[in-house]
This record gives sequence, structure tokens and C-alpha cells, in this order.
Amino acid sequence: MRTSMYALSLFFTGALWAGTALAADLTDVDQIVDQANHAAYYQGEDGRSEVRMVIRDDQGREQLRQFTILRKDLADGGDQNFYVAFSRPADVRNTVFMVAKHVDRDDDRWLYLPGLDLVKRISAGDKRTSFVGSHFFYEDVSGRNPAEDRFELMETTAEQYHLKATPKDPQSVEFSQYQLWIDKATMLPVRIDYFDSGAEPYRRVEALEIQDIQGFPTVVTSRVSDLRGGGATTMEFGFMKYDIGLPDEVFSERSLRTLPRDWLRRPQ
Amino acid sequence: MKLRDALLTFSVDRPKWVFALLLLLCLLAGLQIPSIKVDTDPENMLPHDQVDRVFHDQVKERFVLYDMIVVGMVNTESEAGIYNPKSLEALHRLSEQIGQMKGVVAKDMMALDRVDNITQEGPGTIRFEWMMRDAPTTLVQAAQIRQAVERLPLLDNTLVSGDGRAAGIYVPIESKSLSYQLSQQIEEVIAKLGVDDQFHIAGLPVSEDTFGVEMFVQMAISAPLAGLMIFILMWVFFRSLLLITAPMLVAMASVIITMGLLIGQGYTVHIMSSMIPIFLMPIAVVDSVHILSEFADRYRPGENARPAVLEVLGHLFTPMLYTSLTSAVGFASLAFTPIPPVQIFGLHVAFGIMLAFLLTVTLVPAYIISLSPKRMAQLKDHNIQEDDNSRLGRLMALMGRLSMLKARLLIVAFSLLTALSVWGVSQIQINDNPVRWFKSDHRLRVADRVLNAHFSGTYDAYLVFDRAAQEDPASALNSELMAELEADPRGAQLKPELQQMMDDAASTDFDQYASGLAGLLDEASFSRPADEEELWLALFRRVEAAQIDAKYFLNPEVLAYLDALARDLESQAQVGKVNSLPVLVKTVYRELTGGGDEQFRLPDSARGVAQTILSYQSSHRPDDLWHFVTPDYRSTLLWLQLKSGDNQDMTDVINHVSAYIDAHPLPQGLSVNWAGLTYINVVWQEQMVNGMLKSLMSAFVMVLVMMIVLFRSFSIGLLAMLPLSVTILFIYGLIGFVGKDYDMPIAVLSALTLGLSVDFAIHYLERARAIYRQCGSWPEAIAEIYKGPSRAISRNAIVIAIGFTPLLLAPLVPYITVGFFLASIMAVSALVTLLLLPAVITLIGNKEKLFGTRNLEHESA
Repeated sequence: MRTSMYALSLFFTGALWAGTALAADLTDVDQIVDQANHAAYYQGEDGRSEVRMVIRDDQGREQLRQFTILRKDLADGGDQNFYVAFSRPADVRNTVFMVAKHVDRDDDRWLYLPGLDLVKRISAGDKRTSFVGSHFFYEDVSGRNPAEDRFELMETTAEQYHLKATPKDPQSVEFSQYQLWIDKATMLPVRIDYFDSGAEPYRRVEALEIQDIQGFPTVVTSRVSDLRGGGATTMEFGFMKYDIGLPDEVFSERSLRTLPRDWLRRPQ
Repeated sequence: MKLRDALLTFSVDRPKWVFALLLLLCLLAGLQIPSIKVDTDPENMLPHDQVDRVFHDQVKERFVLYDMIVVGMVNTESEAGIYNPKSLEALHRLSEQIGQMKGVVAKDMMALDRVDNITQEGPGTIRFEWMMRDAPTTLVQAAQIRQAVERLPLLDNTLVSGDGRAAGIYVPIESKSLSYQLSQQIEEVIAKLGVDDQFHIAGLPVSEDTFGVEMFVQMAISAPLAGLMIFILMWVFFRSLLLITAPMLVAMASVIITMGLLIGQGYTVHIMSSMIPIFLMPIAVVDSVHILSEFADRYRPGENARPAVLEVLGHLFTPMLYTSLTSAVGFASLAFTPIPPVQIFGLHVAFGIMLAFLLTVTLVPAYIISLSPKRMAQLKDHNIQEDDNSRLGRLMALMGRLSMLKARLLIVAFSLLTALSVWGVSQIQINDNPVRWFKSDHRLRVADRVLNAHFSGTYDAYLVFDRAAQEDPASALNSELMAELEADPRGAQLKPELQQMMDDAASTDFDQYASGLAGLLDEASFSRPADEEELWLALFRRVEAAQIDAKYFLNPEVLAYLDALARDLESQAQVGKVNSLPVLVKTVYRELTGGGDEQFRLPDSARGVAQTILSYQSSHRPDDLWHFVTPDYRSTLLWLQLKSGDNQDMTDVINHVSAYIDAHPLPQGLSVNWAGLTYINVVWQEQMVNGMLKSLMSAFVMVLVMMIVLFRSFSIGLLAMLPLSVTILFIYGLIGFVGKDYDMPIAVLSALTLGLSVDFAIHYLERARAIYRQCGSWPEAIAEIYKGPSRAISRNAIVIAIGFTPLLLAPLVPYITVGFFLASIMAVSALVTLLLLPAVITLIGNKEKLFGTRNLEHESA
């Protein structure tokens, strides 16, 4: 059994348990975490989305990055693959970032830089590094393994579960704890606050807009804010589609250099 | 002279009113003093809207640069230097605690435990990780950290010195005003670390804040000390508390009211203004000494004091007004320098001098009138006029004879000395360095020496490159696209579609506009009829090219230019290290492509550069990039670490860069400017040197005009300017000769000494003329002048000169410099007045004409 929760539902979400959540409040924290993890990262068998990411610094200066993201689950709630291909700005077009996420060991990560014609494997190392200069971490993209934290249920309100998570290995992360608020109707985490030793959070992840897509409640706008430095990154997900039948080859090392154009194209 | 008479009559008739008014003024002014705000920021030497300063501030904002405290840790014991588990563990603990302090910008802090490392992990695999997440426990692990640091040029010699003996923690702070308090907190943590390593705290904000604290000490100690010194001196000369009280009251009241006025107006107290009390006190007492001396001479015990007071003041009023005016003009001329703190200083001292004059002609008579007859009698008991046979008296008589008998020799000697002085002035080295405002054994100076010996340099200068903004790049691109479309036979009918896309993509930001338009064109290339595909793709490629071109500093050729300049600069002795965007890109590129030394180079294309940077941004500290380039990639900077904060060294670097750019023209459309405190210091110094010349010239002309008006004679006016001109030339010649740097305090001295030292000539010539008119014989006049009047002049010179000596005890170098030079200028100019003036007058044939004896006869006839 896992006592755990992931950083945030960013990409694909669903509400398999929406019915039960409405029926009665959950009291088992593991069950809440499990359902939220599923809602945030495992909706459908696979999916595709186009992301528009705006990185804004504390002076209001913006940078735009656009990419298409493909996801395929190998086991529901278990291993899964991500493929991220950049389209804008022009200087990073066709740069690819690929993750094979494993629940029982370190993820495999690859990077393809077309301007240098270079495929690199990124060593497991630390996953709490910036995702291409944004306020999101790599771990926010593929999801933090719930097994790495201990959870406790702080409060249950009419709409939300309020949980507190403490890392089992405090040395491996920059936070001392984080708290999350899970929407009971969708089981999606709608806000996560990260704390260091202080009483005020220094980082916040929020789901700003949730839409129903093919019956799955899905976060379509999310934001990470640096509460101390003042910058924030917003991601908007467009043209989302679940269960498109992605083949496994899309997530092979070969497709780093040869982009799976058919799957990256917006479905007509 | 109606005003004069009204003032004097009021003072002697209503002494209580004078006391009450003065007390009220002092109280009002004194109330302002507690709200004193000290300003030690050298940046404020320039007005807020000065162009270099505005640019410097913009650079700080655009490149997110903060003021920094630098904590240095040195280990000379361990063979591995700082790379031993104990030291690194201490460094880790220290850095962690500093990061939690309020006011520290933890995100941008630089220390071994806070930076990233990129390493190779087997073929084709790179690893991003913290350089020192946890302190190592073995020497081997510590050595691995050393290896990693030395591979990364941006960290090597910045975070740890090349010899491995010193490590640095760079602490960016939210506000400069926190730096003293933060450095205290850091010291507390260091004290508890329990390691034998030495620690040093440096950085300009700390220097400034510490300077402010010591300035208070200076004001609290040196100013009262100067008061005490003057008190003792006057006691030595007059031996009467009764007599001394009045001048001391004038001095204290002038200081309190002037400082109260300065603070009350909301001005901050800068290093110069903090010297106001010390300047005012000696100047303020001099006039009252004249009055008291003469009053004691004339007053007969038992008489009514009123007529004697009025007579003395009536007779001294004009000369005192003029000496005060000339001194005030000397200080006020500082208003011509473009340095606000110097302007405020000059104008307030000028105000203080005129106030002291006003107090002298009101408070002193009121004081005398209020004395009881018994006390008045005590006045007489004191030997105010010194004996002609005293040591000073004999010396004066000797000087008088000498100046007349050896007139030619003296003039030749002074001419030679002046010629030598002019040569000395030409040797003057203009140089300053705010850190040198502390004494050489001050802990900040020690820290400065140690850290600059180990590291690349703690003085920052930024060479900023800006690509001129394109005017409306979006419409330029649009017309290009339309033209391309029209070139195709099907183009005309597709124009509305293209226009629609342009409208849909509209954005104020060109990069976002280009991304949006590229997206629409890309979409059109496959969603629209197949035969149009190539056309849309061609437009798409054009948009992409424009988008990449706009990000100017992704261009490898431009980066190569900057890199070559940076490497050339690093070959200069003054430059410890240059951190730059090209070095960052080259480092990441090397690690991406296998880590071999031969791969330490720039990628071949702008896309290659962009993707290298994207990889760098996938670290723990992606925002470090923005210290080197702005997010639009149209401005970048070279960060120079200099080993010395000397303006001369910075000037050498500036000249070197200009010469380099002349020889290797900048890529077109690129402009280059300097920023950084080391540069700002050079700017205000240049402004001050020019400003001082202007203020010296204007003071000279104004004082000359005043002299001509005062003496109603052009020749005597010129004569009056002679001693001070010789003196100032001599003193500055000496500075050039000895090799002392011409810095801020020395520059300020020139104009103001002019106003002070002319006093001697005024008194001398005034008396010489009066005596000559009486006796009509120059040798006789000389004999008379070198009795009373010369003694008064030398005594005043001694009072002022010695009055400034408490500055020599100050803990800060500028005060010592000012004290030393003012004292010498006073002494030398008194000497020159007493020797050179009579020699010149001796050689002037027609003394009748010079002293206007005929005119006088004519007038009286």
C-alpha cells in the first residue's frame, strides 16, 4: 500500500472515483492520495495536449514556450511514458524531452537537441530542477512518486480534503513539507503550498481552470508561483484528447530524432 | 551702514533679547538633529538623474543584480586548503544559516552548497546536480568537489580561489541599509562555527554601512575634541575663562543651528557634511577673538562699557564682514561642482560662516554689556596683548626685517618654489577608492586585501551591450511576408487569409507575435489545400528566421566577438576574471558534447546556442542566466571582476576597451556602455575634478573682485591674492611631488582654502596701508606691522591650524587628509603672507600710489 501523493495534476485527469467521492467523505488518507494521484496523472489510457507556457518574472517580462505532450500509461497508477516536443519559439523547435516514469525505480529521461543534433540521457539525479527555465519542476511534469512522502488528513470541508505531506527523505528535496487541497467532486488537487522551515509557503501550484474532457475532469490552466521572488509560470492546455491509441514506438529512443509527426499533429 | 548700526544698537540695548532669540534658534535647530539620516552611498556623489547613474540603475534592474556582501573563508592549515571535510561542513552550515536571514535574497545567493554542477555520467549521459548538497565526509569527496569547481569557469576563482585556500559566499541583499546589521548576524554565526579557518566580510555595502557607523563616532568624538582643542588654545593665549566663553558660545551656536538647518531641510548627512562642525568651530571663534582683544585694550575699568563696545565693533565690522564673506564665498563656490553632497556641504558651511559673523556682532556685544562691573574688571587683569619680547614677538620682528632686507632673494626663492610647484601639480595622480577611506589596518581593508589576493577580484564592473531596438519589427515582418506572397502567382488571392492570420496573432511582444503567426502558418500548411503547402511553409520559415534574428545575442558570431573581447580583457593585469554569456554557453556545450576540453567552444548556429541555453535552464538555478542576458536576448553584459577598486585601474580598463573596439569594430547596431560601482566612482571623480577647477576659478575671481572693492585698489586686490595663490600651488605641487593621490577630500580643499587663507592677506594689507598712511615710511611701517598685527595673524593661523588637528585622530582617512592639509595650508599661507607680501611691496617703487596716500591727501584736501 502506498501512502503518498503527487505534486499536481497538470496534464491528464479524470474522475473515475468521482461518484464515490460524492457519495461519502473519505476518511482513509491513503485512499484519498491514491484517487488524487490517479485523477491527476492517469486519466484514460493515453492522451495528447498542446501546451502554451508563459514564464513571467517579477518584473513582468514574459517568455513563451509551446510544446505538444503525449502520454501513455503502461499500467494504471503505475509506469507511464511522456513525450514532450517543443514547437515555439523557433530557436528550440523540435527539441524533445522524453520520460519513462517508473514507480519502483528512478525514471529514465532523454533530451534531444536538434540544433546540435544531440541525444542525451539525463541521469536520474535530482528531479526538482527547473523544467526548461520555468517555475515548474521536472517532477511536476511527470508527477512526484507518492511513496516518497507521508500524508496526513488535516481537514475535510464541504468541497475539499486538506492534506499535509512530509518527505520521508528530507535531504532529497528543498521543502520541509507541503500541503494540498483536493477537490472532492473531481478528486483533483487544486492547490499545493510548499513550505520550508518558515510558516509562510514559498511556492504555490494551482489549478486555475478545470474542464470536462471526454468525461474526464481535466485541469486546463495551471500556475506555479514563486511567492518570494514574485515570478510565475502559467500553462494552458489546449486541444486535449484522451484514448487516441498511441503506439509504444512513439516513446522509443528512435523517435527523439525522428519526430512522430502524425501523433504530434493536431487531430483534424 | 544703517543695518550695522541698528544691529549693534539692538544688541547692546537689549542683550536679553539677543540671548533669548539665540536660545530659541538653537532649540529649534537642536530639535531637528535627532532625525539625522546618514548617507554613505558613494552612488549619491552623482545626482539621481545623472545619465551614467540612471543607466547603472537600469542595468541593475534589467539584469537583476543586487548589492552583495562577500563572506570569505580562508584555510592556510590544511594541505587541501578549504577542500577538507571540516571546513566544507562549516561553510555549508554558515551558508545555510545566512540563507535563512531576513533581507537576504536566498535565491541568488552563491556558495558551494547553492550552485549546480553539470557532469558526465558515462557516455551520452549528463547529470545535473547540486555541487555540494551535503558537506563531504572524506578528503576524497572534498577533492571531487574541487575537481568539479575547477571545471566550471563561472565558479572557479569566484566561489573557491584557484589555490584552493579560500572559499566565498556571495550574499545578495534586498537593501544596502541592511548590510551592517546582516554582517553582524553573520559574524555571530561565524563565532559559533567552531573552526580555525579565518573569516573575512567584505563588499561595498558593508563598507558603506560601516563607514556610516564610524562617521557617527567621528562626529561624536572629533567634533567635541576640536571644540576642546580650540578652548585649550584660547586658554593658552588669553588665560581667561570669561574671555573664552563668548567665542565658544558663538562656535557652538553656529554649529548647532547650521546642522539643525541641514537636517531640518531633509538633507542626509554625507561624509562631507559630517565635517561641518569641525570646519565651523575654528572659523567661528576667530572674529570674536579680535573683538575681545581690542575691547580689553580700550576699556577703562569703571567706565560704561557701551561706548567702547560700539566703537570697537564699528571699527571691526567691515574687515570682519569681508573676511567672513571671502571664506563663505570659498565654500559656496563648491556649489559649482556637480556633486550634490559637496554642494550641500559648501553652501551650509558658507551659511554657518555668515551666521557666525552675525552672532559675533550681536552675541559678543550683548555678552560684554551683560557682564557685571566686577567681572569687567577681571578682563583687564589679563595680558591680552602679548609682549614684544615674547618668543613669537621676536620671531615676528626678525621676519619683518628679513622680508625687507632680502626682498629680492625671497622673491627669487618663491618664484623657484612656484615653478617647482607647477611641475608638481602636473605630476598629480587623480585617483580614489572608497575602500581606502578606511585605514590600512581596518578589518575591511584587511578583508579587501586577503580576498583580492585569493580571488579574481571583489570589485565589479559591467560592460553592457545593447542591440538597438528595431522600430516596429512586426510590421516590417508583415510587409516582407506580403511581398513574398505576392511574388507567387496564387499569392494575391491568399492575401486575405494571411492578413487574417496576422490579425489573429497580434501581440505587443514580437516574440509572442512571431510564435503565434508561425503556429497559424504551420497549421495552414497542412490543413489548407495541398498545392498551397510549400507557399505557407516558405512564409513559416521566414517568420522563424525573423524570430531567431530578433534574439540578437543567440547569434554565435556576435557571441564570438564578445568572447574574444572578454579573453583580451582577462589578459589585462587589472582584470581578474570576466564572466559572460559566451563562457556560460561554452561550458554547457562542452558538457553536452562529452566534456572534452576541445569542446569548450560556441555552437555553430543560433538554434544550437538557444538549445544549449535551454539545457542550462533545466538546472536548479535557471534564473542565473538573466544576470548575463535579458529575456529578449537584446542586451548582454560582461561581468568584470577587478582586483582593485582604484579609479586609475578602472580608467585603464575603460581605455583598453575603447582601444580594442577601435581596432575591432563592434558588430553593427550594437552600443556599449559601462555600469557597476567601480565605474560610477570613476564618473563622479571626473565630474568632481572638472567641477573643482570651475569652483576654484569662480572663487578666485569672486574673491579678487571683493578684494578690489574692499581696498578700492586693483593693485592691492591683486596683492591680496598672491599669498594664497602661492600657497595653493605649493600644497598641490607637494601632493603631486609626494605622489599622494588626488582624491575626493583633497579636491574639495582647493576652493575652500582660498576663502580661508585670504583672511591673512586682508588683515595684513589693511593694517599695512593704515600704518603706511600714518607714518609714510615703509621700513617704519614694517617695524610696526611686525609687532601687533603680525602676531594677531600668526595667532589666528595657529588657532585654525591646530583647531583642525583633532581630525588627525579620526578613524577614517578622508578626515585625516582634510585635517592635515587644512592645517598645513593655514600655516603655510600665514608664513607666505608674512614673508612674501612685504618683499613684493618693498620692491614696488611707488608705494604712495599703491597705498593711495596721494588720493587720501587729495580727498582730504
